[in-house]
Amino acid sequence: MIIGGGSVGLMISYYLLKKGVKSIVIERKYPGSGNTYKCATGIRASFTSKEHIALMKRSIELWSELRDELGVFYERSGYLWLLSREEDLRTFKTYVSFQNELGIPTKIIDLSEVKCLAPTIVIKDLLAAVYDPLAGKASPFDLILQSWRLLVEKGCKVLAGVEAKKILLSKKGILGVETSAGFIESSTVVLATAYDTVKLLEPLNISVPIEPVPKHAFITEAYRDLFKPLIIDWTTSSYIVQTPHGNFLVGSEIPERPSDKLLNRLEFLRKASKVWTKYFPWMKEAYLLRYWTGYYDMTPDHHPIIGPLDDLEGLYIAAGFSGHGFMMSPSVGEVIADWIAEGRPRVPEALNLSMSRFKKGKLIKEIAVFG
Amino acid sequence: MWSHPIISFKRGKRIFFNFEGRLVEAYEGESIITALYAIGVTTFSWSPKFKRPRGAFCMIGKCSSCLSTVDRVPNTRICIEPVREGVFIERQRELPFISAERPLLNDQVEKAEAAVDLLIIGGGPAGLHAALTASTLGVKVALVDEGTRLGGQLIKQTHKFFGARNYYGGVRGFEIAEKLSKKIEGSSNILVYRNATAYGFFHEGVGVIARHPKPMNIVFKPRAVIVCTGAMERGLEFENNDLPGIMGAGGAQTLMNQYGVKPGDKALVVGSGNVGLIVSYQLLQAGVEVRAIVEITRSIGGWFVHAAKVVRLGVPIYLGHSIVKAIGSRHVEEAVVQAFDDQMNPIPGTEKRFNVDLVLLAVGLMPDYTILSQAGCIMKWIPELGGLVPLRTMYLETSIPGLYVAGDAAGIEEATTAFIEGEVAAISAAEKLGYANAHLLRKREELLNFLWNEYRQACVIERARVGKLKATVSEEEMEEYWERSIANGLGLPRSPYTLQ
Repeated sequence: MIIGGGSVGLMISYYLLKKGVKSIVIERKYPGSGNTYKCATGIRASFTSKEHIALMKRSIELWSELRDELGVFYERSGYLWLLSREEDLRTFKTYVSFQNELGIPTKIIDLSEVKCLAPTIVIKDLLAAVYDPLAGKASPFDLILQSWRLLVEKGCKVLAGVEAKKILLSKKGILGVETSAGFIESSTVVLATAYDTVKLLEPLNISVPIEPVPKHAFITEAYRDLFKPLIIDWTTSSYIVQTPHGNFLVGSEIPERPSDKLLNRLEFLRKASKVWTKYFPWMKEAYLLRYWTGYYDMTPDHHPIIGPLDDLEGLYIAAGFSGHGFMMSPSVGEVIADWIAEGRPRVPEALNLSMSRFKKGKLIKEIAVFG
Repeated sequence: MWSHPIISFKRGKRIFFNFEGRLVEAYEGESIITALYAIGVTTFSWSPKFKRPRGAFCMIGKCSSCLSTVDRVPNTRICIEPVREGVFIERQRELPFISAERPLLNDQVEKAEAAVDLLIIGGGPAGLHAALTASTLGVKVALVDEGTRLGGQLIKQTHKFFGARNYYGGVRGFEIAEKLSKKIEGSSNILVYRNATAYGFFHEGVGVIARHPKPMNIVFKPRAVIVCTGAMERGLEFENNDLPGIMGAGGAQTLMNQYGVKPGDKALVVGSGNVGLIVSYQLLQAGVEVRAIVEITRSIGGWFVHAAKVVRLGVPIYLGHSIVKAIGSRHVEEAVVQAFDDQMNPIPGTEKRFNVDLVLLAVGLMPDYTILSQAGCIMKWIPELGGLVPLRTMYLETSIPGLYVAGDAAGIEEATTAFIEGEVAAISAAEKLGYANAHLLRKREELLNFLWNEYRQACVIERARVGKLKATVSEEEMEEYWERSIANGLGLPRSPYTLQ
């Protein structure tokens, strides 16, 4: 049984099915309604830890398969980091050589190349950029709807509007889950529940170090294709990406404290517009369609918590993605399915990401938590 | 130009503009779409994927069928964009290109902040009465409306309103709008922003874009807000329902009654509620032939008098019938109508064809709830009210203290109740702001008593009454709903940032 019908929960169910294991997914609202439908849609392996890179390299292989198997929109249209400070350029040179060693083809590019990738961009305040041609973007709506359809077709259950209330234990392990639709028996339970993992495990005296940090995004009306890559302005922590429908999806960091309420803030609209109208003056005449807020579920080392719990057999966690849940969902789904069906994950680096790392003090460090 | 029996159109100055390289004549004060309709243009965009021609549907800025490029600014709603001398209009044949190599209009936007007691969003019947009621109590009001003229949908109503006490019995809708506009202009307590859009509730205030006379981005910091955003028209599923010439009944009213432009020559009207019946009569007044009214149920939905009027003028009403298909290559040429059984399934072999160039959909309205939902009000789906509406107390306060709702945005009803709800909401807001007295609160009780125990007792309003009862909760119940939503993980605003 999987609690949480976002991209992570459905991918776990999908890869379990591939191993011949039928599962049941319960979702409080409707599939995708938590973090998945609010995400920035980007997919990249250009991280700065070997764990992230290993998981994301596998994920990128799987995204291509999902495109072919399920018809999910996915394209390797690249990521572009805009750099305007000398010190950032130096830092990124270190990242790039680290990534190149691990087989990720990132490279520093000059401004004429930036102009080729995003023809309408104003480059006057820029020094250089980093380009990741292996990175790309996908449609969260396709992923949820297509995998959901397939799971139901093949006899798995995806229950919308069913909320997990309490995990019930027996002496041996897990008995099942008490839900808003009654008790569901299962000796194996996966929590793909983002920040709610904290609340679900509290009664079992397990404390999970996840903190929700508010984030903001807006989307414009649809326009003709202007650039392919997801573009990040490193100086202001902002991103812009054009969706397959033609809308521009924009995010930008503003000061927010963990666990703050999700509030609509003009401050965000002002900052995001200021950043992106500087690079793309035409944005001044783009009409905003929607603005929404959501959470990044941050862990102390900005890496997800994936895998079984040491002291409770049958219970798995896949949460705390710190802003990368959607892009990682295929490989995380596969890794959890491996663990459940075969006892160990195919990506060995995943072993470093279980809950026990916090107890043992083996935190993972990464500097580039973004996008 | 034919002569209208009821309305004498006051045309503005004659101007010229550029439509895809063609010089087009227009009158100042018209919307761009009206000027184009007047020269026979009825296709305003093409669907991006299949390149199907799209006509206009709502004419009041609520749908997306007329998005055009105006002075090279793409995706502009030309139904609410006033025509200007020399403006350059292009229709969008695919997704528009937005990379601009020219001075940007947006660079001229001025920024402002405004502190007011009460912000009213929407200047239709509910908003106008709310503004007048509050202003006479001494409350400083800002009234924001998307239209060029105040009045909302009143400005396109040519029929005489039925007498409900002192709610304009015997007066035509557009005359009511004129009368109320004058009063509002005369009030020193009301600031009016026309052609202005309230785009959202934020931590810092309520954002409003005012377009004319100069573009301004105003952040209001009101102490209370009344949302009177009205409603939008529903579409209907049938083959080729996107052909130009198929539009909302209200869209046609805007063209012929507000701007004096004939929407077509031969019409089929779908739906026999008051909107369908009244628009049929107005079409006849405007010189449009009405071939038939079709109604899928077995009974006429609107007032008997309205139905009698059109039947007397020779318009057949087909009960148990609806449209199943439109035919035409670039515009509607024929409409296929079929009889439906009691389970709402079409009966084979009953097709009738009507040779028409206009199909008006009068199949119901849905509340324009978006800004209420964005503000974080607890919403409820109530079919009797046309869809999503905010929960509210008897005094029209939503789950956010200081935020009130009135008129069709609170659930589809009609103009008289909108007037009354506007007044009730204004008195409630005034009470919150400290302007209340015993006389005022007594007046509110009288209004509510009349509304619930007399006016809504009429059988044609039964459905709305049932719906409004479902949407109205006590303050204690509101508190419970709120607690439950919080328990479900929703981060609902509790104390409005607006009220100290």
